[in-house]
Amino acid sequence: MGRLIKQWFPVLIATVTGLVVLAGYLIPSPPLIFYRDRLVEWAVIVAAFAFILGLFNILRVHGGRAIRLRQGWPYSLVLLLAALVAWVPSVLYGPSGTLTQQMLDYVISPLGASLAALLVFTLALAAFRLLRARRSVEVVLFILIVAVVLLGNAPFIGLERLADVRDWIINVPGMAGVRGLLLGVALGTVITALRILVAIDRPHSEF
Amino acid sequence: MGSLLGPISGVHIGAILLLTLSGMVLISLLLLRGRRGLHPAIRPLPAFQDLRDEAGRVAESGGTIHIALGNGGLNGGDAVTSLAGLQVVEALADTVVSYGVPPVITVGDPTLLPLAQDVLRRAYERCGLTEWYDPGRVCFIAPSPVAYAVGAANVAAADAVTTNVIAGVFGAEVSLITDAGARRDLPQLAAVAAPCAVGALYPATDRLAVGEELYAAGAHTTGEWRYLASLVAQDVLRVILVLLILGTAVLALIGG
Repeated sequence: MGRLIKQWFPVLIATVTGLVVLAGYLIPSPPLIFYRDRLVEWAVIVAAFAFILGLFNILRVHGGRAIRLRQGWPYSLVLLLAALVAWVPSVLYGPSGTLTQQMLDYVISPLGASLAALLVFTLALAAFRLLRARRSVEVVLFILIVAVVLLGNAPFIGLERLADVRDWIINVPGMAGVRGLLLGVALGTVITALRILVAIDRPHSEF
Repeated sequence: MGSLLGPISGVHIGAILLLTLSGMVLISLLLLRGRRGLHPAIRPLPAFQDLRDEAGRVAESGGTIHIALGNGGLNGGDAVTSLAGLQVVEALADTVVSYGVPPVITVGDPTLLPLAQDVLRRAYERCGLTEWYDPGRVCFIAPSPVAYAVGAANVAAADAVTTNVIAGVFGAEVSLITDAGARRDLPQLAAVAAPCAVGALYPATDRLAVGEELYAAGAHTTGEWRYLASLVAQDVLRVILVLLILGTAVLALIGG
């Protein structure tokens, strides 16, 4: 009985749910559409509970580190305090309260934007490291194309021609490469999803 | 119809049905063929080829392995890509747990957290070391991509980490994680699907699986026929699709 519940029950639920949702999108039948929408709504509710799990995980990992004074414990402490400070206005005034919105607009968004700005430096550093570590025609071509695309975006006088070259690189070889990549990703997604749907792959079960 | 996906036309439904059914038929036929012992040889991928050797090296160094699973969850369009990333954890978990070097796994979506914990727990069970299992080895970092990348970079920068593995849903922000690894000269292995992540990872590591190669993780790391069959089915469908695209292009050219 235990084996049935642990092994076959999750597989049965996943397969039936997957088939009903898939059929709901492909067959225009009102009962199927009704069940599909209910199942998708349940998935959203489960995902919301997963966020509570995530919060407990953060408390466990960083709380444990701060209490045991492990490497980086001051950062963990700051994280927990910041999480608490961010949590209070949302609980007291709701997600659309003035204080909550101000915290989002003046603290969280600018912090996110500054962290995203770091990407320019990490990417440039990676390109330099690449030139040092792997010297090949392929790498030189990569760096050359990156330089042309970046300079093609810059408003320098005398480099207007580069904007045309940049457009051509992005729209012709770049687009062709991305489409090929996305086609492969789509096929990989379909096949992996089918594997789970027909229970060949069972990441959710005790097999 | 299709309140969540928008209206779907009859042609699209036909194409999706054809793809789904032909995929199912192909996988079933290949699974039957596998029972007769006819297994194909697959092209080696540097990202997965060294995965288990890397686990051995981590064990020798006494460090640990950081596996970043990215910002994908189980309730969105990235669900399958996240599951493909999880196959890398499945492939590594048994080896690293048996060597006594449990990995540190970081996730950026809480829906992936219980599944990643479960994969690790099962590896401990298989090795008979259930009492050593620590769910805190799987950490939820943050739901936003950049915040996740910064948090995962912090994990990769820890002294104990001696190998950085990246597999799952990432964007260009993945370069923050690889930068942390590169500063410590860590061996880095990556498997991603999104084109912007590929561009950011290419300069960071030469052990990179790109696009559809991510979905081949199971076949490469376990060699099990169920994964190999789906990989062959994927290849067959791709060849058919390429022929269809070429045929349509030629017909359009002839027809003016």
